[in-house]
Amino acid sequence: MTDVIIIGGGPAGSAMGCYLSKMGIKNLILEKEMHPRAHVGESMVTSTTRIFEEIGFLPFMEKAGFPKKYGASWHEPGGKEFYINFDEFQQPGINQPYTYHVDRSKLDLHLLKHAQELGSEVVQGVNVQKVLFNDAQQAVGVQVKFAGQLIDIPAKMVVDASGRGTVLGRQLNIKQSDPIFNQYAVHAWFKNVQRSQNDHTKDFIHIYFLPVKRGWAWQIPITDEITSVGIVVEREVFRTFKGNFEEYFNHYVKSNLGLSDALKDAVRVNEFKTEGDYSYSQKSFVGDGYVMIGDAARFVDPIFSSGVSIALYSAKYASEVIKTAFEKNDFSKEILMPYQETLKSGADIWYEFIRLYYKLLPLFTHFIQSKKYRVQILRLLQGEVFNRGEVEVLEAMRNYIQKVEKMENHIFHNQLSNIPIDEIPETILAQD
Amino acid sequence: MDTNQVLINYVQTELAKGRKSEIKPDDDLLSEGILDSLGILQLVSFLEETFDIEVDDEDVVLENFMTISAINDFIQSKK
Repeated sequence: MTDVIIIGGGPAGSAMGCYLSKMGIKNLILEKEMHPRAHVGESMVTSTTRIFEEIGFLPFMEKAGFPKKYGASWHEPGGKEFYINFDEFQQPGINQPYTYHVDRSKLDLHLLKHAQELGSEVVQGVNVQKVLFNDAQQAVGVQVKFAGQLIDIPAKMVVDASGRGTVLGRQLNIKQSDPIFNQYAVHAWFKNVQRSQNDHTKDFIHIYFLPVKRGWAWQIPITDEITSVGIVVEREVFRTFKGNFEEYFNHYVKSNLGLSDALKDAVRVNEFKTEGDYSYSQKSFVGDGYVMIGDAARFVDPIFSSGVSIALYSAKYASEVIKTAFEKNDFSKEILMPYQETLKSGADIWYEFIRLYYKLLPLFTHFIQSKKYRVQILRLLQGEVFNRGEVEVLEAMRNYIQKVEKMENHIFHNQLSNIPIDEIPETILAQD
Repeated sequence: MDTNQVLINYVQTELAKGRKSEIKPDDDLLSEGILDSLGILQLVSFLEETFDIEVDDEDVVLENFMTISAINDFIQSKK
C-alpha cells in the first residue's frame, strides 16, 4: 500500500510528490489527463525559484529555454507605462533576479517526470471519482475509474491537488465562491506581437489596464515567437457583450493604446480559451486524513501571477505536516492544522493586495512610485507572502482608500470601485 | 525660475506628452485631460522632491490640482 495518494499531477501535486519522496514517504500521483496538456497560468513570481531549488528542479528550468521574466510592466489605457525590476530587492535564498514565463504543458510535464524520478509512482489518464472515508470520517484512499472499472485504492493519507476541479471540495460541499471576484478570462496565443516599445521590458509580463471596472489584459511571452494574451473582465461584462470571441477580444484590445499597438500585426495561432468562475476558497484545507493544496484549496484572482507560487508553497508546507503525521502515526486534522494556518495567512495577503488593487487602481501606481513603499510592493510582487505577519504597505493602502472614501472632493473619489474592503467576507474564509 | 514656470515645464514635458502645446497657469488640467490619475501621483512625487514639502493623502483634492496656479498656491501653503 502506498502511504499518500496525490490527486492531480500539476505543479502542486508534482511538488508534493517530490517533497514526500525526499522524506521517504511513498506516494502515488493520479493524473486524469495525459501530459503534456494545455493549462493557463503561464506567468510566475520569483519566490518559486526557492522551491524549484529545494526539489532539485532549477537546473531543468534553466535548461528548458523558457523566456526569463525580469520584471513586470503596467500600461494605462492612454498609453503610459511603468514597471518594476525584480532585482530592485534581493530576495533571501534566491540567487537570480528573474523567474520564467512558461508553456505550462511543458513545465507541468517535466515537473511530473521529475517527481517520478525522485520516487513518486505516477499513473496518468486515471479519473479519481471520490475520496474514500471510513466510519470515523477519516480519508483512507480514493476510488478511481480506470478502463471502465471502479477500483478502490487505499492509502494512509490523501492529498487533493486536483486544481480547479476541486475533487474533495466538491465532494464535501465546502467550496465557497468569492462574492467579490467573479472574473472571466478569454485568452489565446499569438505570433508577431510587438512586446514592448522599450527593449528593457520586452520579456516582462505586461499588464494593460482596460477602461472597464476590474478589466485588464495580460501579455506573456511563451517562446521567442509566441505570446499569450488574455482579456479579463467581470463575468457580467463578458456575458452582456454582443458578438463572438474575436469581436469581444478585439473590442478590448482597442481600448488600451499600448495593447492595440502591441497586437497591431499579431496573428492568432490557437483557439480562444476561456476561464470562468473565478475566485473561491474551501471552508477548510485539512481534515482527518487529507489536505488540499494549490487551486484545490483556494484560488485568488491571477492579476499578480501568484497561482504557481501558491501551488508550490502549499505543497512544501503541507508536506511538512504530513511528515509530522507519519512520524506520530497520527493523521488527525489537529496535526495537519498548522499547514492550513500558514497557507491561509499567505493567501490572505495576496487576497488583500488584490482587493486593494482593484478597489482603487491609481493607488497601486502611486505606491509603486513612492520611495517609502516601492520595495514593499515589490516584495509582494516577488511572492513573499508566507510567514510575514502584518504587511505595512497594505495597511497604508487601506488607510489611503478610507480617506478617499470619506473625501468627496478627493481627485480619486470617483475612481473607487464597489469592492468592500472593511472585512474579508466570511464566506471565503477557511474556518477551523 | 519661478514656481509657475517650473510646474509648467514639468507638466508640459513629463505629463502632458504632446496633449497640449502650451499650458497656461489657469488652464484646467483635469477636465482637459492633461493630468490623468497616474500623472497626478507622478506630480505629487515631483512636488515633494523639488519643493521639499510633504503632500498628505488628504491634499490630493481637486482644489489643489485644478490649475498650475492652484498647485503653486498649494505649494506655498505647505512651506
